[in-house]
Amino acid sequence: MTNSAVEPTALIRARGLTKAFGARTAVAGIDFDVRDGEFFGFLGPNGAGKTTTMRMIAGVSPRTSGTLEIFGKDPDLHGSEIRGQIGVVHQQETLDMELSVRENLLVFGRFFGMDRASIATRADELLELFQLSDRAKDQVEPLSGGMKRRLSIARSLIATPRILMLDEPTTGLDPQARHLLWDALQRLKRGGTTIVLTTHYMDEAEQLCDRLVVMDQAKIVAEGSPRQLIAEHASREVLELRFPNGTESIDAKVLEGIGDRYERLAERVIVGCENGEAAHARALEHGLNPESWLVRRSSLEDVFLRLTGRTLDE
Amino acid sequence: MSAVQSVTPLRSRSRLAAIREAAPHPTLWRHVVGYMLAVYRREWQGSVFSAFIHPLVVLAGLGIGLGVLVGDKAAAITGGVSYVAYIAPALMVSSAMELAASESAWPILARVAWVRIYHAIVATPLNAADVMVGAIAFIVGKVTFAAAFFACVLLLTGIASSPSGAIGMVGVSLLTAFAFGAPMVAFSVTQKSDQGFAFIFRLIITPLAFFSGTYFPIQNLPFAAQILSWCTPLAHGVALSRSFALGTPLTFGWLHVGALLLWGIGGTIAAIYLFRKRMLK
Repeated sequence: MTNSAVEPTALIRARGLTKAFGARTAVAGIDFDVRDGEFFGFLGPNGAGKTTTMRMIAGVSPRTSGTLEIFGKDPDLHGSEIRGQIGVVHQQETLDMELSVRENLLVFGRFFGMDRASIATRADELLELFQLSDRAKDQVEPLSGGMKRRLSIARSLIATPRILMLDEPTTGLDPQARHLLWDALQRLKRGGTTIVLTTHYMDEAEQLCDRLVVMDQAKIVAEGSPRQLIAEHASREVLELRFPNGTESIDAKVLEGIGDRYERLAERVIVGCENGEAAHARALEHGLNPESWLVRRSSLEDVFLRLTGRTLDE
Repeated sequence: MSAVQSVTPLRSRSRLAAIREAAPHPTLWRHVVGYMLAVYRREWQGSVFSAFIHPLVVLAGLGIGLGVLVGDKAAAITGGVSYVAYIAPALMVSSAMELAASESAWPILARVAWVRIYHAIVATPLNAADVMVGAIAFIVGKVTFAAAFFACVLLLTGIASSPSGAIGMVGVSLLTAFAFGAPMVAFSVTQKSDQGFAFIFRLIITPLAFFSGTYFPIQNLPFAAQILSWCTPLAHGVALSRSFALGTPLTFGWLHVGALLLWGIGGTIAAIYLFRKRMLK
């Protein structure tokens, strides 16, 4: 319908999208497109404006100014219709604790106007897909965090939405549950679902996203694929030097001489360079005496650090 | 339709669309009722006492117990009927008030602030207004069901004699549940914890149960208290219900109905407005 001929239309299109709460601007005029079938991420620290942006897309937060189109429509005027094709997974669980796992899905399908027979079929499919079939009749309350999260995602998919939106989907999950969830999301993407997620975990963004925007203080500071962003904003390797007694006393001239660029954190110096081993050797030549050191490939964390001068979990 | 749209200026057209977005959908809200029913099927045992047994206990204790004590003196205020027959129709609506108020308190707050499922529902094609209308409709339905049970007991025990009067009383309970449920839902959706409920129940609900003509006529109250009493919904419910039960005509019957509807409709509009304000930041 909308994605006919001329040019590939974005499913979500934002221009100058702004949200203010009184004097505080949560989202300050951001532009982005989310294309059909892609896995798109908002990466940034807490309070950067990611959740507010998601809420505006999901049609539950009227924007202050700018344009926003989802499936080519304005969510302020066609919210109900748009929401019918979007699945939303909130950061905190929003499941009904008194209903069973399966009932949670059945009840939700009705909200999308589905008939009972197709809801039942779809619910069983989803329980299977998210490995919850053997808990179908159980109440939600005693389920593990990972299971509740999988149920939330299953519930958001009941009406087979075109876009799945996840707000910090793996926050609070143990590593195994995270990986299980990542696998499930990648399967969904392969099935053609467009996925939008927010995260403050750079490894999550790097693993999952085809494209992402880095948000900081209500603005988008960079945009691209994880690989592009790293190539553009970070060097090939990173040398991390640890100084438990603090880094203030280290001479800036010395740090400049080690690699291409550096960031000074409270107890660490992060040096961007072509060759980490060589940079470490230079650091020792300059008389630095770090307690420990390591060399790794650059990651999105370094991109964020480079762009904002801060780490993601600050 | 399209002819009308083509002559409507763009700005007012989008304003209309925005209003349509905020208004309850003609049919979608019933799925909120369906959801609440699904929950009720799981936990109905928990509310059997408060909904069905408690009103009967009060009726037995006060109607029969206090009735013996009041004895022949009752006839002076009841117009000849027994004391239990006098308070039964009033007790029915004051129970409707209490049940509607408590059903509109904790279960609503839980879904807004604790389990937060309302956050998930407003992210579906349903909107905030659908959630409120559906929730209020469920509460009114549940209270009406309990009132119907109470009415059956009254008929079976002979306390009420006219089936049509009993149907009228159930209808009044429905209106009373609406008049209390909707404003209470509006209050609950603004709350962060359940501390505020204690105030409502101690300062409003419990006193109303006594001073709305339930156990003695409102005319026995000081004039100022009478005025106050008529400003709240319960007095109107009691007057209507008793008139149906005893078959005594009411001078301002439609005014009482109007007062109950006013509270209910006003409460519903307030609930939608306040719920939107909380959810759609």
